[in-house]
Amino acid sequence: MPRQHASGFALTQRQAAVILLAPFLTVYAVFLVYPFFKGIWISLHDWNLMAVAFNPDAKTYVGLRNYERVMWGRNITWGALASPGFQIIGLIGVLASAFLYRTGRAGKVTALAMGIATLLLFVLPGFHPGEGGRWYDRRFWPTVGNTILFVGLAVPGVTITAMLLAAALDGETRAKAVLRTLFFLSQVLSVTVVTLIWQIMFSPRQGLIANLTQLFGGSPIVWLTAEGFAMAAIVIATIWWSLGIAMILFLAGIQDISKDLYEAGALDNATGAKAFWYITLPNLKRTITVVVVLQIILHFQVFGQSHLMTSGGPNDTTQVLVRYIYQTAFRDSELGRASAMAVFLFVIMGGFSILQFVLGREKDE
Amino acid sequence: MKHVIFGATALTLLATGAMAQEVTLGRFFGDCEGAGTDTSASVGEACIIQSIINAADATLDGVSVNTLPTDWGNYYDQIKAAYAGGTPPAVHVMHRHRVPEFASIGALADLTDDLEAAGIDPSDWAPAALEAVSYNGRIIGVPMDFHANLWHVNTDLMEAAGLVEDGRPILPSSPEEMLEHARAVHEATGQDYLAADFAQFPIGVRVALALIWQQGANIFEGDEATIDTPEARNAISAITQLFDARLANPQLNYADSQQAFLNGEAAVLVNGTWVVDFYAAEAAKDDEGLNRYFVADFPTLFDEGATWADSHMWAIPAPLQANDADTYAAALQVLAFINDHNIDWARTGHMAVRTSVLNSEEYAALPHRDEYTGTAAIARDTPPSARYGAIQDVLNRELQAIWLTGKSVDAALADAQADVQDLLDR
Repeated sequence: MPRQHASGFALTQRQAAVILLAPFLTVYAVFLVYPFFKGIWISLHDWNLMAVAFNPDAKTYVGLRNYERVMWGRNITWGALASPGFQIIGLIGVLASAFLYRTGRAGKVTALAMGIATLLLFVLPGFHPGEGGRWYDRRFWPTVGNTILFVGLAVPGVTITAMLLAAALDGETRAKAVLRTLFFLSQVLSVTVVTLIWQIMFSPRQGLIANLTQLFGGSPIVWLTAEGFAMAAIVIATIWWSLGIAMILFLAGIQDISKDLYEAGALDNATGAKAFWYITLPNLKRTITVVVVLQIILHFQVFGQSHLMTSGGPNDTTQVLVRYIYQTAFRDSELGRASAMAVFLFVIMGGFSILQFVLGREKDE
Repeated sequence: MKHVIFGATALTLLATGAMAQEVTLGRFFGDCEGAGTDTSASVGEACIIQSIINAADATLDGVSVNTLPTDWGNYYDQIKAAYAGGTPPAVHVMHRHRVPEFASIGALADLTDDLEAAGIDPSDWAPAALEAVSYNGRIIGVPMDFHANLWHVNTDLMEAAGLVEDGRPILPSSPEEMLEHARAVHEATGQDYLAADFAQFPIGVRVALALIWQQGANIFEGDEATIDTPEARNAISAITQLFDARLANPQLNYADSQQAFLNGEAAVLVNGTWVVDFYAAEAAKDDEGLNRYFVADFPTLFDEGATWADSHMWAIPAPLQANDADTYAAALQVLAFINDHNIDWARTGHMAVRTSVLNSEEYAALPHRDEYTGTAAIARDTPPSARYGAIQDVLNRELQAIWLTGKSVDAALADAQADVQDLLDR
């Protein structure tokens, strides 16, 4: 590479890069890299939030014991059909990825990623306490399950709604511009405002939904304290809240599709829903991948909706991982244990980030 | 002349700046906009405490009090994070039940030797109040009240069901009698007998605990959980029989259950002392719903009287006492001011902690005060534990699982027993 002409105070490209990157790298190192490794370090200790603040020596190194106490138990065994629901889906997934790869419908990397994910779905739920055994922390895995359920409901919910809205609101009329702004507005609200709005909406006494139900002769549903509805309630609030960004991404994706395709399609009688199915959707594949993976990473970190609307209840049905981490760290002051859970959450989200990276690269090949 | 004015202004600013010692204050109780400084006129916990704080800020020479924004639900998380970060407020309110958690690691200042000089007389505190703020024989806080669960009664609904005698509601003395009363109210008025927050905050837990204590049992003793017991089953079935007969609704949260009571849709609301003045004010309004309001001690359904109780108290962080003498002195002045206004705080419905206030005519003349004089004698709480918050959450979750999700009593008690034992073992 030819060196740039250097004279006086001129910098080389490398020096300029270092200087320009330095502010970011400093902030990144101090506020992200250091706390991350400190978190891992704390997770290896018995570390009481308050006690260590008053006496730095009040912590003890316990190795991986926090991880064991959180994720493992006494007499844990593995069975191929311990929780049939998840495991059968996992098994079908493994076979499907092999089939898709064999028939050439999925690339090598996609098939591998899908295969590993579904294999985990087959293997992990197979662990269960054997005779006389028990999980050391009875609530951890159900909490992980709730978080996955939340992600499983919220991500398709947001993706499909945002995509349909984007398709409907793509255009240059004034009404569409106003509606696009309106649908995006909810995104700028803070979680406290969103949950307040939806707590009022869901209230069985004065809520809009209860009033509508009563108008049609039904008895109001007590959304936030009924076992079957509490999760649905926080998912609905979440979809309403996080539509905006996804919708904008889809709008950008749709506007990227060449108009020629639609004109050509129209000649073959493909308009409206048909055009959406055969032209818009296939061309949005990449955007869909981005939106889905971003949403997965975002919603694994759900906290406010569960904390403020249902307090994790009833019977822990809406208890999610970040809320459990928060309670363990701040209510119970057990920072070590909470950090171990946080590292687990990091591994899950790291996995999805790698998946996004892999899928993104494959398209370029 | 210009120089003189300028100089005088600068000097004044300097002087006030140097003299006004800022005291940061952390509290729950909720927000009150425009509370003013008239401590004798405000209504409700939030406004009464804020008016006392505002008055302290206005009255105390050289002290300015800055109330920090805190959220009720996450108060202790915030306070603990502030302690851990080395920036706790100079004074903060807390419950007696949190004393073991904070005092065991030396977080709270030992005020024993400084109270008299600050104008606080510990010998005026009721013995139970002194005990509430004592840890290992040292005083680590200034008590503000005793509070407890009461039965707030709609006398009109009770009368319609024939459950009023000499102007006082007749309360049940056994679970069976409670069911009879509930049926009578429902038949006569179509309304529920009992409402409480069984769905969110741990009011339902406090009801169940009271009924367990009334049988001479408790949920743990020492390091041993004792939840899965016949006494707990009796207590739970006393409550669930009302839900099963549709004479009470377990799905109402705090706001909804309170609204149901104020709308005249429930004869009894189980809630604390902190709402007596508010309900009295609501009953006095000339509208539909609650009109004749009575406050009763929590009834004895089993062998001995017991109701859940706790205390609010004020504390100063130990690091402040050790490192910042000026702010510490100012903080003590604020606590003395709050202590002097014990009668104003008692207006909420809370029981006062100072014997001079308890014996005063002004205190006896507070609305409804003579209706729950028995509560002080039956006030109870679980044994002291640094894990109080987590244990309450376990009970809240499992009890709610019974009445909200149909979890079997056996499974819920077994799980609660295991979880609380885990917490005690940690």
